[in-house]
Amino acid sequence: MPFAIENVRITDLTWLLAGAGGPRMLASLGAEDIRIEWKDRLDMLRHGGPPIPIGEEREKFLRGEPFVAKNDGVNRAGNFGENNPGKRGISLNLRTEKGKEIFKELVRISDIVVECFTANTMERLGLGYETLKKVNPSIIYVQQPGFGKTGQYADFVSTGPVAQAISGLTEQSGMPTPYSPAGWGYSYMDWSGAYYCAMAMLSALYYRARTGEGQYMDCSQAEPGIFMTGTAILDYSANGRVWQRYGNRSPYLPAAPHGAYRCQGKDRWIAISIFNDDDWRAMLKVLGNPAWAKDAKFAKFAARLLNQEELDKLVESETVKHEPFDLMNRLQGAGVAAGVCQTAADRIYSDPQLKHRGFQKALPHSEVGDWPYKDFPVHMSESPAYVGGTINRGFPCYGEDNPYVYGTLLGIGDGEQKQLAEQEII
Amino acid sequence: MSSAKGFLFDLRVLEIADERGEFLGKLLAGAGADVVKIEPPGGNRTRAIGPFYQDKPHPERSLFFWHYNLGKHGVTLDIKKPAGHDLLTRLIPNFDILIHTGAPGELDKMGLSYKALSAINPRLIVAAITPFGQTGPWRDLRGSDIVHLALGGVMMNCGYDPMPGMEYDTPPIAPQMWHAYHITCNNTYMATLGALLYREQTGRGQFLDASIHQAVSTCTEVDIPHMVYARQPVWRQTGRHAMTTIVAGSQSVTKDGRYVNASGVLGGTQLPLFEMLNKYGAADDLMDEKYKDPAVQKDPVVSRHINAVMKRFIQSYKFERDLWKEGQTYNMHWSPIRKPHENLTDPHWAARKTFTKVYHEDLDKTFAYNGAPWLAGKSQWRTGPRAPHLGEHNGEVYGKELGISTKELTKLKKQEII
Repeated sequence: MPFAIENVRITDLTWLLAGAGGPRMLASLGAEDIRIEWKDRLDMLRHGGPPIPIGEEREKFLRGEPFVAKNDGVNRAGNFGENNPGKRGISLNLRTEKGKEIFKELVRISDIVVECFTANTMERLGLGYETLKKVNPSIIYVQQPGFGKTGQYADFVSTGPVAQAISGLTEQSGMPTPYSPAGWGYSYMDWSGAYYCAMAMLSALYYRARTGEGQYMDCSQAEPGIFMTGTAILDYSANGRVWQRYGNRSPYLPAAPHGAYRCQGKDRWIAISIFNDDDWRAMLKVLGNPAWAKDAKFAKFAARLLNQEELDKLVESETVKHEPFDLMNRLQGAGVAAGVCQTAADRIYSDPQLKHRGFQKALPHSEVGDWPYKDFPVHMSESPAYVGGTINRGFPCYGEDNPYVYGTLLGIGDGEQKQLAEQEII
Repeated sequence: MSSAKGFLFDLRVLEIADERGEFLGKLLAGAGADVVKIEPPGGNRTRAIGPFYQDKPHPERSLFFWHYNLGKHGVTLDIKKPAGHDLLTRLIPNFDILIHTGAPGELDKMGLSYKALSAINPRLIVAAITPFGQTGPWRDLRGSDIVHLALGGVMMNCGYDPMPGMEYDTPPIAPQMWHAYHITCNNTYMATLGALLYREQTGRGQFLDASIHQAVSTCTEVDIPHMVYARQPVWRQTGRHAMTTIVAGSQSVTKDGRYVNASGVLGGTQLPLFEMLNKYGAADDLMDEKYKDPAVQKDPVVSRHINAVMKRFIQSYKFERDLWKEGQTYNMHWSPIRKPHENLTDPHWAARKTFTKVYHEDLDKTFAYNGAPWLAGKSQWRTGPRAPHLGEHNGEVYGKELGISTKELTKLKKQEII
């Protein structure tokens, strides 16, 4: 089947996840993404982990035997891989005049330029939006500086934890004071920064399709975080209320019990949401109608809301007797919203729904072989997205697509390509 | 900012959605589409989600409803009654996108399968958001925000340090404020725009099957690669990434009990930190030659020592001292752990118009709202008007657009069809 945006080409100067994730999404939707890299300043994740087992290591891994994967080379880093499937990759030295010239040729045949350098890097290289617009008047230029292109923090650096902290999202996760914030145990704002960068690119593509006009976009990593602080701003503005954490409870859509409760096994937990009396009765039945539940403190929904601390302990005294997935199945069978706190292993190896939907897709790769990558989570009936993109491939090796991009797309002959490589330009 | 035209200036969206999908409508409205929200005559269930204006629960005072329905039009319609169903099918040809968050198969049962809708309007894009997806063994299970954050793996990444011996005495944590739905709607926005761009080429709409469970499951970071490539689990840790080992923490408490996230230079040396500490006479022994080598700095014992010196330094100041800004001048990833409202008074965001003010003429009051997630050269983000009152635009949509007479509208109202 066709992809949604097979006619779109992206010149991709991003890195890490917040940057690289946005064009990853568009590659899944069918765009031809050309990721530009230079060996002296590689994405640090290319040197990071976890190293993907290859050769004998892989054999051992597949047999379930102990192995140590070597962390050598730049084409076998697991996190880098997960951030860049479906993309093409070329080497290009933008600090050389000839490199800049070639870059402009690529921009000329592209629809989007996307980058996540600090605010004024591209201008300093002489490759800012105003310059590139002269090369390609309808180009969409999406920039993703941490705090934005303008304003007094324009030169500040950001990664997920930085954007999460300042936006308020870190403070909004965890148990009430005196606990510290728990924050996010991963770079939520890397993924979300990536989502908003992708959303911006797609919005600008639609606008261009309808008007013929490209545009410049300033997509900071921090602002989407502020955008997702929910009703906290309005609650302050309208009610003067300062944000307070409430743990795993649900004060705004009242529910009790509501939280994560310990189950059998090491560090196994189940989340349960009880929104009304029907839910309550159904849960109690599954738990064997324990005697404590007859206490007047828990008789009515309103009373349960007031006595949640005690209720949580009592519920946990029951859940801890149960195997988590068995309990989830029985609660769900009784119509109760309940779900195990799943690990990565649960999601990859045993979750039947994710298996049914194709959570991960195995993609070929020229050095590390076939490995699974997380697929786009929305199924599209006419133009399905696919994490391998139109090229049906995992992440690019460094400079892997030089022959295609320089030869086929830009018409640079083999001899000249060889010369450019010798001159450290490509 | 040459034009006030939104990105999606010529699009119309029909929304039949609860908390699972209202954020998608908010995004599309923000991007410039004309969004018409359909509610049952008694009001959408999201009008009962708090907090409430002045803490008085009322369908027109839900701040949740205000926030997630900013910039939309609103009509009432009982789509389960034949006359309501008929009105809906009369609206369908006028719209580009239908957002629907009913249970899997609900549209089919109402005779509004994608096939049927497509026969009325072949260009229609249906964005259907369900807890687990339209098909599959879990399709009929019940979700909630916390249940999705649990099943999707977010919670097992978030929480507090284990005790020595790697036992946890605190549960995994679900970050607050409806993120299961934020994640899903952000992804469904991408799919919807993909479908629109496909329609530009083919003239055809399509059906989008968004699973909250799958969307949340894709939104974690290193836990998946570590399992895929090394079968290593990660451990959740206070205020920092879940990792395969327990690492030194960057979340540092201030004298007055607030927090700063103080990470170093990305992948680099700690020398800038030593310099900054030394400037304040707080470097302890860190200016010693032996700490200059980045490899030495990464030794676990040394790294804990560096971390302790840094934390002592941060704890000797109050939060309002804004030490993070100076850390940033050393190129370090320092950031204040703010409460959301503290951004309202930051001149940086003011200069970027990150927040916006919305006038509520019914209350004669103006409130601060979250504004645009980005700045664009041409297309502006829509930041109003306030969320619609129940049935506020019935006259406009049914009267002006469908040509239904006032008399007929009164009758429909009496029959609780609108």
